[in-house]
Order: sequence, then structure tokens, then C-alpha cells
Amino acid sequence: MKQALSILLAALLAVLPFMGLAEEIETVVTIVPAPEQTKAERPPCFPDPSANFIPLPETENLAEGKPVQAGAHTDVYVSRNVNDGKTDTYWESKGWPAEMVIDLQGTYAVSTAAVCLNPSSIWEPRIQEIAVQVSLDGETYTEVAAPEKYQFDAATGNRIRIDFDQVQAAYVKLIFTMSSASRTGGAQAAEICVYE
Amino acid sequence: MKKHMLLMMLLLAVCLAACLPAALAEPEKTLLTIYEGPKTMVSSKTAQVSANGYDLFVYDVMVNHEHIWNANTQPADTPMTYFDFEGKVRLEIRMPGLPKPVESAVVQPYACGIVPEVNDGVVSFVITEPGQYTVVFNGSVNKALHIFANPLETDVPDKDDPNVFWIGPGEWVMDAIALEDNQTLYISGGAVLHSIISVANANNVRICGRGLIDGSDYPAWNQPGSYARVPIDLNHSKNVTVEGICVVNSNCWNVNSYSSKNVRIDNVKVISGRQNGDGFTLQSCTDNVITNCFARTWDDSLVIKNYSGSTKGITFKNVQVWTDLAQSMEIGYETDKGLTLDPEIQDVTFEDITVLYNFHKPVLSIHNSDDAFVHNITYRNIVVENAFMQGDNGFNKELIEMTLANSSWSTVRDEFGSIDDVLIDGLTVINTADGKVPRSRMAGHDEEHRITNVTLKNVSILGEPVATLKDLKLSTDEYCDGIVIE
Repeated sequence: MKQALSILLAALLAVLPFMGLAEEIETVVTIVPAPEQTKAERPPCFPDPSANFIPLPETENLAEGKPVQAGAHTDVYVSRNVNDGKTDTYWESKGWPAEMVIDLQGTYAVSTAAVCLNPSSIWEPRIQEIAVQVSLDGETYTEVAAPEKYQFDAATGNRIRIDFDQVQAAYVKLIFTMSSASRTGGAQAAEICVYE
Repeated sequence: MKKHMLLMMLLLAVCLAACLPAALAEPEKTLLTIYEGPKTMVSSKTAQVSANGYDLFVYDVMVNHEHIWNANTQPADTPMTYFDFEGKVRLEIRMPGLPKPVESAVVQPYACGIVPEVNDGVVSFVITEPGQYTVVFNGSVNKALHIFANPLETDVPDKDDPNVFWIGPGEWVMDAIALEDNQTLYISGGAVLHSIISVANANNVRICGRGLIDGSDYPAWNQPGSYARVPIDLNHSKNVTVEGICVVNSNCWNVNSYSSKNVRIDNVKVISGRQNGDGFTLQSCTDNVITNCFARTWDDSLVIKNYSGSTKGITFKNVQVWTDLAQSMEIGYETDKGLTLDPEIQDVTFEDITVLYNFHKPVLSIHNSDDAFVHNITYRNIVVENAFMQGDNGFNKELIEMTLANSSWSTVRDEFGSIDDVLIDGLTVINTADGKVPRSRMAGHDEEHRITNVTLKNVSILGEPVATLKDLKLSTDEYCDGIVIE
């Protein structure tokens, strides 16, 4: 009797830890599954707006990567950002008017210039006034597009297109004279493009 | 002999009486929600974590152990995981990514009173309250594990509401998201969103969920060709709520409220390791309340400035802070960047703030570096678990620092402000790097620009109550009045 009681007591002491101190926690679990993906995608709740973007010529952008010349810039937004092929970098002038000259490094029959901002919708809609001049020698310029106010809107790609009569040009100068944006003191362009 | 047997039977009966009810009773069920990680990502190889036996997805996120400014710094990484629950959760942690097996572990905040078990390199402990828990292994902050144990989600927005943008689990990329009046952005648990969210000139906007906003796609903002991509940017907006999400790997500062009113930020977790990675940064705001949040940052963790107008009515409550660089709770340096007339910063409260670590500059600081009138500032129940301020070249390593002086961040160069009516009620420092009381400093500027009426109460450092300014090692100059400790 005594022996049986001792065994019972020992067994009870052995299982004690499992009776409350380290019990399995009864759990109702919800596992939120991840979708099948092979790469990061655009969230479906934000449809791609690019179908409504202002179309640009499909020919070579003659400005990309060419030497540029401009006046003072704001903060870190240097002039070389204006034709680096990326719309997530940009040039911002320091004050007005702001001129940007692109050396095409050759003479081309050009007929279109385009100014692109970052296409992101966090760039508020704005108007910039822009004129276009061209030159064969970098000294004497001829106006091919008079100053005009252009609407930039993320809904249309935050870009504008300036078409003019085809003209021979080795240098293209864009002259910015105003912006309606609330948080800038100068001209802004993520990319300036030139096309034949 | 009979007496002995009777005693044993009595003992047996007592044990059964004590244990059987617990064993037989219907146990309370724990409700646990866990989120699979995106299929495009793999769980951390540094840490493996389970909750009640269910494996959690662990993210490696950027942090920075370089406790001095470096414009070209390279961040390290540390594991982080999250889930939602109500009830009781037993966490089990394995750390295969550590250079040696786990022999010891500490759970912070210390006030949660959790003493983890460590068996064969496995760390385990039970939590019964939602909160933010940090586990430090083998006495080193390297690869400290951050666990965000959220409460169960409530008030989840309606997916079919046309004003709701619903981002589900998975990895998503989008250049930026601009929210307008009356819109809600829901970022589900399990989502990793590579984007930034802008709320500009908008009213009644809500950002919520459990997911991550991840800036790892972008180079640090100060690198050539890059720019600041602020994950949460509130600008001239009203009635904005941000809840439940995590912000990681930002390429600049993190949660930014600028000239915005009636902002509520709750249970938002920020971890940053890159340049200028301030946590919660408020500029010229009115009635902003930040509660139940977490900020581990490589720049000021909680910061108030004046950029365009004055600041009034800011509350940080129940926030955990880990400051790898700069200050933990900073007012300044910019107090009048907008060059406004009579700028003020007033009615600011830091309450129930736990500083897990501060490795660099002062914990409590008011650097009135322009010409603002800074007044009615309250610090209540501040616990500094590890005050390891190394400063910069021997400077800026104070526990408390209040100054009226120009700095490299000043906009106003020839005018100065003042600081008045500051209450520090409850300041506890548990550990310091050298086991000594850290110094504190207050310095006014001149007869007309002074620091006045600063009251300290219930200050305890290294387990000892601090009853005098001398014991606090607080230095003041002749332009300070009414600095008292009770």
C-alpha cells in the first residue's frame, strides 16, 4: 500500500508541469495566405494610368546623355538629372528665368521637344511656361516655339510635348519662365527629350 | 508509519485539488492571426520564430550600429516579425544567424517582467499582452529581434467601399500613392509595399492595416541621383489617422507630419538605418497624438520642429524608442525655419516613453536654435533602460540638454528665443555605459533669452533617487532661472 502510494505520488509530481505550468495553449489560428507571385507587382487597386499618358515619339531621344548647360540649381537637383534617362531624378533651377541648353553633339532635323516630370501622382498638377530655341553653333538661337503655358498632370503622365516645324539644330535651348507649383522656386524637369 | 502514510495521502489530495480544476477546466482559447510573407521573399536566415507552434515570417530590416554621423554609412540588418493575438502566446526563437549559439537572452522593455527560458539555444517565453517586444541575445544588441505583437484588428475598412484602396498580402511596388479627401488606404498584414504615401492638402484620410511600407528599393536620399522618398508624408492636412502598419528601410525620414492638424498615429512601428532616418517627425503641427508606437532610428526618434508656423498640442504616449543616432526626444534644432512672426512650440507632452537604448546624443533635449518661444513642455514617466550616449567627440552626450544657441541648422542667426515652463515628472535611468550618472546641461543665451521654470520630480538614476541638481550633474549658466528638483 505504501509503495503504491509512493509510486502514485511520484507520477503525479512528474506530470504536474504538464498540467498547467507549461500547458499547450489552445489556439484558434488564422493564417493569412500570400498570393502566388514571382515578382513585386502593381497593386490591383491602383490601375496603371499609362494608357492615358501623352504619347511621345518612338524615335531616338537625341537629348539623352548629351552635355547640358544651365544656371544655378536648387539643393541637390543638378542639371545632369535632366537627361539621365530617369524620371525619378530631376533638375530644379534656382529662380527665374531658367535656361537649359542641350548639346546634341551633331546636327539633326528636330521637330519635337518634350518635358517630363516624375509621373508620380504625388507631384501636384502644375503649369510651367516654356519656350524652345535652336542653334547650329551654340551662339545664335532661333525661337521655334514661343513661350506657352503647359499643363503637367499625373493623369496624363506629368509630361508635355512641344511640336514645331522641323528645323536643323545642334543645340536646343528650353527657357522656363514660370511654374504654378506651390513648393518650388524654379523650373523643374525630370527629363527633357528632343526628337527628329 | 500510519502517520507518515496519512501525511502522504493528504499531500496527494492537496495536489489533486490544486491541479485537477485547472486541468479539467475549459482553457481559454487564444486567437492568433499570422501572415505569410510574400512568395517573392524568403524568411530571415538569422532568426526563426514561432507563436504557439506556428512559424512566423521574419523580415530582415535595416538598422545601423554606427553611432556617429556618416553621410555614406552602410546599414546592417536585424530580424523583425509580427502577428496579432488575443489571449496567450508562447514564442519560441532560434537564432541560426548568430555567430554562436544563444546562451542568454533578455526581453525588453524590462518593465514587462519577462524572463525568457533558454534551452539548447532556443529562447522561449509567454506574452499575454499585445505590445512591442525586443529580444537581445548573448548580451549583444547585434541581431536583436523585434517582435510586434499587435492586438487583433478591428474596424477593418470595407474592401468594396469606393473610397478604400485595399492592398492585400504580397509584394507590391508603385512609385507613390497620393491620398485625397475621405480616402482610406488599407495595407494588409503580409503585404510589403514598396512605395511612398502622400497626404497633401487633404481631410479625413486613414492609413491602416498590418503590412509593411518598405523603402529598400531606393538608395539613401543623399546619394547621387537619389532623393528623399518619405514613406508617410502628411502635408497641410487635417483629420488623418495612421494605424497599425510598419515602416522599414526608408531611404530618409519616416513618418512626417508637416503643418497638419488633428493627426492620430497609433501602433505604428518604425525601424530605420539610413541617413536622416528620423522616426516620427512633426513640423509646425497642431493637435497631433502619437500612441502605442515604436521607433528604432538612425536619427532623432521623436522630433518636433517649426518649419512653417508654430507648433501646439503634441502628445507622444506609450512609445518605445531605440535611438542608434542623435536624440531620443528632440525639440529642435529648427524652431523657426519658416521665419514666421512670434514662432512658438507649446503644449507638448512626452508620457510613458521607454527608451530601450540611446547610443548617441541626449535623451531629452530642447535645442531652440532659432527664435521660438518654447513653453509648457511635459515629460512624464520616462524610463531610459540603457543610456549609452557616446556623443560626438566628447560633446552632446548629456541625459538632458536644453540650449538657446545657433547651430548649423539655424535659419535665424541674430535673434534668439526662450524656454519656459518645463516639467520632468518621472525620469528613471536603469543603466549607463560607465555605471555613472550622465551629465545634463542647460544654457540660455543672454539676459533676455533665458531658460526658466524647469521642474524635475521623481528622478531616479541607477537605482538611486536624485534629490539635488548636483546629484543630477546638471550644469546651468547665468541665463537659467527657476531650475528646481523635488
